[in-house]
Amino acid sequence: MHLSQKNRETVDACRYCWMCRHICPLGNATGQERNTARARALGLSMVLRETETLENVIGNVYECSLCGACTKECLTGWNPVAMMLEVRCQAALEGVLPDNIRKLLNNIGKTGSIYAAQTLAPQLVKEIESLPPSADTLLFLGQHALYKNPNGAIAAIRLLKKAGVNFTVHKDEPDSGFALHFLAGAAEETRKAMQNCAKRLNDFKTVIAYEPDDAKLFLREYKEWNIAHTAEVKTWTTFLADLLDSGTLKPKKSDKTYTFQDPAALARDLDETQAARKILSACGVIREVLLHGKDTVLAGHAVMTEYLPETMTLVAENRWNDAVNTDADVLITASSAEYAALKNTQPKTIELLSLEEVLLRCCST
Amino acid sequence: MHDFLFAMFVSELEDAVGRENCSTHPIDKLTHSVDYFWLSRMWTDSGCRMPEADVVVSPKDAQEVSKILKIANYYKMPVTTWGGGGGTQGGPLPVCGGIVLDTKRMNRIWQINTESMYIECGTGAIYKHIENAANEKGYATMHYPSSLNCSTVGGFLAHRGIGVVSTKYGKIDDMVLQMEVVLPNGDIIETSPAPKHAAGPDLNQIFIGSEGTLGVMTKAQMRIYVQPETRRFRAFLFKNMSDAFKAGKEILQKFKPSVMRLYDEAETGSIIKKIIGVSKSGAFMNIALEGVADIVAVEERILLETFKHFGAEDLGSEYGEKWWKEKITFFYPGHALDLPWMFGTMDTIAPFDKIEKIYWAMKEAVETNFPMARFIAHFSHWYEWGAMIYDRFIVEEPPQDPLEALRLHNQIWNCGVRAALANGGVVNDHHGVGIKLGRLMKEQYGPAMQVFEVLKRGLDTNNIMNPLKLGF
Repeated sequence: MHLSQKNRETVDACRYCWMCRHICPLGNATGQERNTARARALGLSMVLRETETLENVIGNVYECSLCGACTKECLTGWNPVAMMLEVRCQAALEGVLPDNIRKLLNNIGKTGSIYAAQTLAPQLVKEIESLPPSADTLLFLGQHALYKNPNGAIAAIRLLKKAGVNFTVHKDEPDSGFALHFLAGAAEETRKAMQNCAKRLNDFKTVIAYEPDDAKLFLREYKEWNIAHTAEVKTWTTFLADLLDSGTLKPKKSDKTYTFQDPAALARDLDETQAARKILSACGVIREVLLHGKDTVLAGHAVMTEYLPETMTLVAENRWNDAVNTDADVLITASSAEYAALKNTQPKTIELLSLEEVLLRCCST
Repeated sequence: MHDFLFAMFVSELEDAVGRENCSTHPIDKLTHSVDYFWLSRMWTDSGCRMPEADVVVSPKDAQEVSKILKIANYYKMPVTTWGGGGGTQGGPLPVCGGIVLDTKRMNRIWQINTESMYIECGTGAIYKHIENAANEKGYATMHYPSSLNCSTVGGFLAHRGIGVVSTKYGKIDDMVLQMEVVLPNGDIIETSPAPKHAAGPDLNQIFIGSEGTLGVMTKAQMRIYVQPETRRFRAFLFKNMSDAFKAGKEILQKFKPSVMRLYDEAETGSIIKKIIGVSKSGAFMNIALEGVADIVAVEERILLETFKHFGAEDLGSEYGEKWWKEKITFFYPGHALDLPWMFGTMDTIAPFDKIEKIYWAMKEAVETNFPMARFIAHFSHWYEWGAMIYDRFIVEEPPQDPLEALRLHNQIWNCGVRAALANGGVVNDHHGVGIKLGRLMKEQYGPAMQVFEVLKRGLDTNNIMNPLKLGF
């Protein structure tokens, strides 16, 4: 297995270090020793020393959610996420991908979507078709919302309409490259998907990235990969907060208490933790959950649910426990990737809403 | 074991814990074969494989542990309990194969009892998580070892761990009220409902420190404390360690600081200089006082007066605050001692009338017999009657051959620990025994070892529980 010098050093740094164990959402949910950055690095170090095979450790590499909690936590600056991404790419190149991952990559190849979905929810299609064919502003919904959280996508469209924003949504939205990046790292196919998507973004002056995973790609990864796009990209949360600031949206404060599930891509990768809180504090009272903001804990992920459904259920249940402990009325999510996992495991004592659902409620009263 | 019989055995375990919590996959066996023990790491880095379990099981509660132990007894298979794997003594390594029983699914926080000031939790809970739970309610566990983030409640109990504020709040064995334990035959018991009593010997203290050889601790009530109103630091530089010992002993007859750490001249001139930035020579001592602000103010005044009497230079609060901030940084990659160096911490403990003698004896024994080894030490846990030494040896160019490295490693350990024992110390203070030091247990205890051996034979009739550890 070939690894860059930097990631070889990461393997050696992490292989006997457990200092980030307590914040791994997978390890905390499953209780399995292999769900630690240390276990993954140890296995890879043995592959590099030729005392273990990549086939035996690659499944464990795909049990990492790439949420970045370990990287954020490391006081000496090691980056297990970068290590995982390079190993995934190498596994693809060496033809040792686990069967379930190969199947998902085949889905993308055949249908353009990791979720192998050919058709959208009829109501969502209707909403999209009601929009003008062209506009300055694009709402980029992303694969998670299109196929796993259509109600969130519908609410987002309705909210922007309510605010009078002149925008549109692609009828045949391109793949941002997120799933390919997640599953195969810096593969050529990932680059092609990103380049294709970037071209389509250039038709617009402003792009609102509804899903934090896509926002992270547009604002960070595309730049790192030197994939140029001319549109100004805004996260969904920032765009909504701006609508509040400008007085375009005027929510009425309710007596509800909210706790916010920070998406890792927003909080850690894009350093954005306040926009959602600004919106929620206009709608009610915020009760912070244990480990929030940059310290957020993953609450599940739609892509991983495709190949580790039981594990994602445990991850979501763990985070629900934290949310319930706040005694808030509602858990608010700003990520369709997390929403899907949370919805499947929702306890009866607390409501689950997306940010746009809250705003729609508070702006209509 | 024949493949067929092994398949029967595994299917019984799967029936006990669920198929998803029972694994023979190489990655699970591999990750449970190496802990923080230097020899296991060196062995693995040298391209060798450590002994591995045949199967890894993750029970969710005492009932499932009970089933596992009954199956293990029936098939006469070894059972090695694994918490976080962050120990340094090889305690959780499945050196005889068999079952690794990973406790981390037993991580439920059952209750935070603020009336009686404890958290009841599964022993597989990561200690940092119970600290978080305590903090959310305005309390603290006051158990802050460097492995707080990565070790389990059961792991700390299994080897009698200690944290940096132990001088005020005590060791892990001082912090337990009641425990649930699964005996080797599968019986589930509870220890006394209160930790202080006259109803016979203390059951808690039989299982605490037994390193998985006498049963599996599955639930524990761990003490919590009110967050201190204030925590104030003060650092000092003593001319020599003797003066520092006298000053430390005197202060402990008056009150208990929380942090109390004395570094020998070698460690003051190396690690303290590098991380904290103290460039003067001497013996550096860091003290923290905490609790009710008014009381702390009085303690601080007494501290300054007492230490002045012993010629200590007052370095103010800055160094101590920096140390507190960086106290975990020491253990991250890049700062922690790491391969290819050989190193070990020979922590021991003794009353004041012996501790300094032990320090010099160990230092001389290691440096004389192994001139390639550096010896550094600090004294970080203090009592009214004595203190512990956290003394470390470091060999920067150990043998490349793993067998030669193993031999040298064990020779240095034998030499250092025997020097401690000869002068009134013990095999270990707070890292435990494991497979690393088992051979030295009989040397410390002599005929007293039979008390442990009778307990072991009586409880673990098939000798399946963590074999070859703790000198059994």
